[in-house]
Amino acid sequence: MSRVLIVEDEQHLADGLRFNLEAEGYQVSVVDTGEAAIEALTTAPDDFDVVVLDVMLPGKDGFEVMSEAREAGQFVPTLMLTARSRPEDVLKGFAAGADDYLAKPFDLSILIARIRGLLRRREWLSASRHTSHNANISAPAASTDVLRFGDKALDLNRLELRVREQVFHLTLMEANVLRYLIEHAGEPVPRKKLLEDVWGLHEDTDTRAIDNFIVRLRRYIEDDPTRPRHLLTIRGVGYRFVAEP
Amino acid sequence: MVVVSRKKSIGLFITLGGGLILVILLLYVGWVLLNWRTGALLFLGILLVAMLIAGVVLNTFFLVREIRRNEQHDAFINAVTHELKTPVASIRLYLETLQSRPVDEAKRKEFYGIMLDDSARLLQTIEQVLRTGRIGAGNRKPSLTRFNLSTVVDECVLRARALHQLSPEQLTYHSAPLMVLADLDDVRAAISNLIDNAVKYSGSDAQVAVETTVVNKKYASVQVRDQGPGIPKAELKSIFKRFHRVPGATSRVPGTGLGLYIVRSVAKRHGGKAWAESEGVGRGSTFVFQVPIAK
Repeated sequence: MSRVLIVEDEQHLADGLRFNLEAEGYQVSVVDTGEAAIEALTTAPDDFDVVVLDVMLPGKDGFEVMSEAREAGQFVPTLMLTARSRPEDVLKGFAAGADDYLAKPFDLSILIARIRGLLRRREWLSASRHTSHNANISAPAASTDVLRFGDKALDLNRLELRVREQVFHLTLMEANVLRYLIEHAGEPVPRKKLLEDVWGLHEDTDTRAIDNFIVRLRRYIEDDPTRPRHLLTIRGVGYRFVAEP
Repeated sequence: MVVVSRKKSIGLFITLGGGLILVILLLYVGWVLLNWRTGALLFLGILLVAMLIAGVVLNTFFLVREIRRNEQHDAFINAVTHELKTPVASIRLYLETLQSRPVDEAKRKEFYGIMLDDSARLLQTIEQVLRTGRIGAGNRKPSLTRFNLSTVVDECVLRARALHQLSPEQLTYHSAPLMVLADLDDVRAAISNLIDNAVKYSGSDAQVAVETTVVNKKYASVQVRDQGPGIPKAELKSIFKRFHRVPGATSRVPGTGLGLYIVRSVAKRHGGKAWAESEGVGRGSTFVFQVPIAK
């Protein structure tokens, strides 16, 4: 039975979500403050399979909860739920480490589908690996879920990036962005295309918000993030991934 | 988060303003040292420096005020977005639940109750935003009628007891007949706001006392006293500003930051006043709304 943590201060919404998710067969816990969410996620990191996190919470808001949980090494798939649905807010949620984002008011069937999607996403990531067409990317015979470039390896099953002896845990969205860039290695990838293909955002969004993600990815994959060799900026366009610099 | 970003941005501009004033003064001191023998130049210099400093001070002042306004506006948009979308999200969630799942009779009744609460919350937010717009427009004169204020307060108390499911012991009312000449609709909204606030902020164990009295034979006064979380002294005036919400534990209570602004605006439009008293955090609050008695 999958376990869901709901972080929602609006009692009515929390009760309604609990009723529906329990009816779907999930085991549900509810907390109503950001502080309680961080405590639940950090003291018992393996207690939850998915988190539904509201943004506007008393005290620490959802963005802060997300960032702190990720910094503390908690990488449970998280769906952010919020009344604020501007593209900037969506990107802010993803930049904080969220895996998915749903605006209120939401459709119940969509919410449940998204939660199921988060629980299934690892398999999806692995499956999509097979669409990779770049000659520079090779998977070892032992595992088809690992994309290698240079002395680094992106494990899509474990959502880990291994850089020599170091292991970085990635969020689903970070893994998605990196996978997308690896799959398009050598090609210039415009920011707008990244937003459309990875985030599914088609509105007139401030594409620079994506830069936060790139900064984080560079910290993982570059020896010197100020002088990137794998993840290059193409001024006025976007980025280009180089597998073997 | 909003408070932190406001402090940061305002701090930057205040520091910049202070730095500029320091640079001007240093340049001026240097200039005086070079030209101290020439009286006319010295006078001109003093005048120019005074003008420059006044300009920088004014610029910093207006800049900081504008930043505050923008951030209050953003906070308001966020609060209203939240206050409009949250009850809609809740109503929709329960409707979809009722439509798509087998729900027993007891749960069904509970869900109907929740949806009614949420629709009342939604309606209240819409009314507050519309009323603020009307009051803010300034060109609408109050539609004055002569009525007994204590009857209106009685109506508001009965409505609040029903809405918040409170007993007469939890929400008490002592009245005195008071005839006023005022806009009935606005006064009713103001008094309802005060009572709703007192109940909302008191939490599950609300104890609210409402009283109407005559003050100095001139004013009809409505006092709403609660045993809730109280208000920090520094916030007693600010809470009546538009969009303002007290930071801290009470910020989790839903609201748009418009209710008390409406209360004070209505009082002022009738030649009256409204204020808050509190012994401090944890010691309850009293809100007073006064309008002149009809002659």
